[in-house]
Amino acid sequence: MSQPLLKVRQAKKVYAMGDEQVWALKGVDLDIHQGEFVAIMGSSGSGKSTMMNLLGCLDIASEGSIAFAGQELSSLSKNELASVRNQRIGFVFQQFNLLPRTSALDNVTLPLLYSKVPESDWHKRATQCLENVGLGSRMGHHPGQLSGGQQQRVAIARALINDPLMILADEPTGALDTQTGLEVMALFQALNQQGKTIILVTHEPDIAQFAKRKLTFRDGELISDEQNSNVRQAALEGKA
Amino acid sequence: MKIVILLKTAITALKVNVLRSCLTMLGIIIGVAAVIIMVAMGAGAQQKVDDQIKSLGGNVFFVTGAFRQSGGARSASVVKINEDDANLIEKQVPGVEAAAPYLSASGQVIYGNLNWSTEIDGIDNRYFVVRNWDMANGREFTSAEINRGSKVAIIGERLRSELFGASDPIGQTVRVTNFNVTIIGVLAAKGQDARGEDQDDVIFLPIKTVRNKITGVSATNPKSVRFIQVSAYDGEDMDYIEDEMSRLLRQRMRIPVGGDDMFRIRNVSEMIATRAETIQVFNTLLAWVASVSLVVGGIGIMNIMLVSVTERTREIGLRMAVGAKPSDILYQFLIESIVLCGLGGFIGVMIAYGFVFMGNQYDIGAGGIIETQVVLLSLGFSGLIGVFFGYYPALKASRLAPIDALRYE
Repeated sequence: MSQPLLKVRQAKKVYAMGDEQVWALKGVDLDIHQGEFVAIMGSSGSGKSTMMNLLGCLDIASEGSIAFAGQELSSLSKNELASVRNQRIGFVFQQFNLLPRTSALDNVTLPLLYSKVPESDWHKRATQCLENVGLGSRMGHHPGQLSGGQQQRVAIARALINDPLMILADEPTGALDTQTGLEVMALFQALNQQGKTIILVTHEPDIAQFAKRKLTFRDGELISDEQNSNVRQAALEGKA
Repeated sequence: MKIVILLKTAITALKVNVLRSCLTMLGIIIGVAAVIIMVAMGAGAQQKVDDQIKSLGGNVFFVTGAFRQSGGARSASVVKINEDDANLIEKQVPGVEAAAPYLSASGQVIYGNLNWSTEIDGIDNRYFVVRNWDMANGREFTSAEINRGSKVAIIGERLRSELFGASDPIGQTVRVTNFNVTIIGVLAAKGQDARGEDQDDVIFLPIKTVRNKITGVSATNPKSVRFIQVSAYDGEDMDYIEDEMSRLLRQRMRIPVGGDDMFRIRNVSEMIATRAETIQVFNTLLAWVASVSLVVGGIGIMNIMLVSVTERTREIGLRMAVGAKPSDILYQFLIESIVLCGLGGFIGVMIAYGFVFMGNQYDIGAGGIIETQVVLLSLGFSGLIGVFFGYYPALKASRLAPIDALRYE
């Protein structure tokens, strides 16, 4: 078997709450391979968000090791972590986190500002990404002029702009109605089909059903890791 | 090209809250405008003083007679000094360039059907040396004309333009009070004196002509003058010359040791310079007060930048999530603060120009002169304030942890 994209070994995370120490993760072992579609589930306080932060290079494990594409994350500096986030990970958030009063095109271009991509390619790349998520005709619109589903698609285009190895989606359908949620999930499934690794954090079992593999966290521990035998197809449901 | 994008980002951020940005800039605007206006006023006053000293003719003393003092009561009669005193000072006091006797009167000058009321001064050629005054046209007096008291005149530029307009005055005859004189020369324009009077509104006659025809000859002091104007060579010790003149005159007037002087010597350049110094001190003080307002403006910038960083914590988190390094965030906020200050500084400069222009237009105050280096310095300084007061908020932004920033409510 090839080397996993993410190799997590005894990852622990501790937070100081006043004098008390709270273990958000109590030692997690996990491998995620290139091309997987993984849902991370759990109620709030289960440690799923902490896990996502560690996998997304937004935070560093207190103990244990996490290797991303063969690189040990705990050894990287802040700047190197920023560069990993920029080049290899695409983020999608529940609240979209788009810059207000900024066009869809400029929002999508944002990660390029922190990359080494020459400026002459920016426009072409951003346009391409927006067309891929079906927003080619709304590039000049500001977030306020777009629907929730459209905003989330702008956010997905932004996540794709540096052609990352992995997309990390944190409750991407949480702020959307069922129908638009389905559209967004269809987009993720299509991207997964094209070979992108997708990690979806959710507390809704329904949404997790779109993933091929489901991880469940409780009290800082990984309690179940199962292949999804009954994957929902968002594209089909959306049409029905 | 990244700087262009950073500038664009900064301007976009500042445009989000236009009123707040403007109010924040106001501190810098007022500070910069006030500093430039104060410095301009100071430079204007200095320039005026320099001009006055220059038009006076360099290092100049006025020697006049004093009131006669008898038994503690001053009598109205003035001790007259005379042409011989002038000659003696010029000959015997080292460092003296020239000592010019001067007698003044006033009256009408008539040419054809035009008349003009002006100052009629009796002098000799030494006066032009002392005043550093060049001829624009024609010639100075000859010694024969001086000795004889001829009816010839040299006129100032203002009088020339009032009476002759475009025609050539040389050789023309004008009537001064009740006698005719021939114009032999025209002086170059000199402008206003320290009291704001037009120095070119004048007609000069040989001193003897004025004495004989207008003021009359005093029986006790036939060579009397109104005052003697003395000029020293550049770089001479003015105090020494003053002491020497005083010693010479006391000796000549036979004033006993301990007796009061019966003359007065005034170092005019020094008087003007002293007054200028007072103005300078005052202006410097005001400029410092203005700088304080600039610093207060800077604190306002810091305050607003801190608010802005807090308000945009989520934006900072997002930028970090998509790959912004701490230094990227630092620059972003630093440039925002510099733009705020720079723009404020620019507007301040414009306002200062407006103020000084209006002041000069309507003749308010001593007149202002805005020097380019002061403008550049103020702009540079306001930029520096942007860096200084923007650094801490920007640093604070750059040190946020990405997850905390992303989840900030």
